Amino acid sequence: MTQAAQSGVNGRPLWRSALVPVLLFAPCVLVYAIFFIWPQASLLGLSASDKAGLTLDHYGRFAGDSYYWDILGRTLGLGLAVTVITLLLGLPTAYVLARSQSRWAGFLLLLTTFPLLVSAVVRSFGWMVLFFKDGLVSKALQSLGLASGPVQTMYTMPGVIIALAQVLLPLMVLTLHGVFKSIDRDLEYAAMSLGARPSVALWLVTLRLARGGIVAGSLLVFSLAISAFATPSLVGGARANVMATAIYEQTVELLDWPFGATLATILLVTVLGLSLAYGALIEGREKMEARP
Amino acid sequence: MDANHLDRRQLLAALAASTVTPFAAFQAQAQAPSFAGRKLITSGFGGSTMDIIQSAVFSPFDKESGAASTQVPMQSAAALARMKAEAGNPQIDMYQFSGGQEAFAKDEGLSQPLSGVSRLATIPADLKDPDGHWVTWAVIAEGIVYRKDKIQTPPKSYKDFFKPEYKGHIAFPAITNGYGLDFLVMLAKAYGGSEDNIEPGFEALKKIKGETIFRAASDLPTLFGQGDIWIMPYDTGNTFKVQQSGLPVAFATPEEGSPAVFITACVAKGAKNADVANAAIDTMLKPEAQIEIARTMRWTASNPDTKLPSDLAGEVPAVGQLAKLNRTKINSMRAAWTERWNREIAR
Repeated sequence: MTQAAQSGVNGRPLWRSALVPVLLFAPCVLVYAIFFIWPQASLLGLSASDKAGLTLDHYGRFAGDSYYWDILGRTLGLGLAVTVITLLLGLPTAYVLARSQSRWAGFLLLLTTFPLLVSAVVRSFGWMVLFFKDGLVSKALQSLGLASGPVQTMYTMPGVIIALAQVLLPLMVLTLHGVFKSIDRDLEYAAMSLGARPSVALWLVTLRLARGGIVAGSLLVFSLAISAFATPSLVGGARANVMATAIYEQTVELLDWPFGATLATILLVTVLGLSLAYGALIEGREKMEARP
Repeated sequence: MDANHLDRRQLLAALAASTVTPFAAFQAQAQAPSFAGRKLITSGFGGSTMDIIQSAVFSPFDKESGAASTQVPMQSAAALARMKAEAGNPQIDMYQFSGGQEAFAKDEGLSQPLSGVSRLATIPADLKDPDGHWVTWAVIAEGIVYRKDKIQTPPKSYKDFFKPEYKGHIAFPAITNGYGLDFLVMLAKAYGGSEDNIEPGFEALKKIKGETIFRAASDLPTLFGQGDIWIMPYDTGNTFKVQQSGLPVAFATPEEGSPAVFITACVAKGAKNADVANAAIDTMLKPEAQIEIARTMRWTASNPDTKLPSDLAGEVPAVGQLAKLNRTKINSMRAAWTERWNREIAR
């Protein structure tokens, strides 16, 4: 055995080489098992039980109540809106920053991450000052003639969407920037030397190659947007109820842990399903296009 | 109650017995037990409230007893959730509540009876648990907060919220904020209902459901500042804070009565520093501490022996002047009213 181990890679017994990936994987699995899988499993158990034993009553309560369907719909709508906005704003920003030759590019990239360095609470208070009836947004809209009276964006869904988009934009920009950086500029030149206009080259080559990053960025932003709590709670107030604030209300304010767990499970399963479908859709297209 | 009488009797007996050595007895009474090197972890209300309580109550207590007190900031509801989660092995010795959570805590067996709190006997019976699980150490009076520059005649009644000239300038807290719940109950009372007949409350609230609804007291300065809000139901303590931030607001006591919020303290069952917590609670009930709290936060003293200086007495209602609500009934209906409020008012 010791001789075999000393005799180099080829002489190593099979179980040893199999051990390496297991050992590399183990710490991560262990941390996840303790801090994620186990709590999630107990949430699932909590959501499917009451004092008498196993029950699906809590799920029935959700399914039979249009109020909670509205909240789920509003949450997914919020995720979608924020993802689209950050993608539209983030794509050009990340592209320009990645392609820029300027020595300021690195500094500018650092600047885009600034919102991440400010706590969500402080940031949301900033929005409060802007969004109230006598705030800057309302005054600007009125002086531009876009609104006839005072406009209150505070405590509304549009307010939450704007604030969350600002919070999550840096993540989108950072993800896309890395991907654009890794795409060889020569590929674009090659396309253009073969007669493609720059816009066509951008569309056919760069954006296609960046697809993985776009998927990653949108999944990241989407999942953070629908699970965000601080911003919807502070900027949205009582009227813009989303899943995260509803879960908080059930568990912390009404002490109905089983129903809170039910809401959490439904949110998790929905997101998991949507993410897998989104990933599969993009990957499926990739395979189709790869065919000669 | 019996236990309290017993405490008092024992105290009298001890005093009588100590007439032989009066000085020793005086010393024993005046000096808090020494807790040098001991720690006290308590929940706190966060922000400036927590800082003020720290300097008005806990710092003097620490100085006197040698203990080191730390407040962990959390809202009352979150504090109860934490207490529940840590049942059997509490990391926090003492809890402060402002939303009636102490009754839940007692019912769920999360708290333990206070012991050795000498001033407990002086606190009125309706401000403490009959079994001594919790005691109210301060009271916050609720009422109507309004902009003095926009509303010249001080509001008198909860019915004033429906004056047409205030339309678009009204705000009220969400029902998950305790004041939002009390607002609903007081509206019901103003329009012929009660804790047992909440219907008129919802009917009234529906008429102003389009107005601004907020969640937390931290929104108050911006609401009165940038939000163009003139009138809302809130409390003396926050009125004082908004006044200090320079806004022209005032507090009015409604004729239906000011509902009161009890600021209570209780000790977690199995708390490692229960003895320190009990001594701290005794300090909180001291008139000196309660005057300091009234002066710095405009909270009403719960100890009737507290004599406020005349300049404060006008600003802080006395305990006897407050309306009292049937909290047991309200607490039992909270979940149902919240569900209804979410659908009929916030939707």
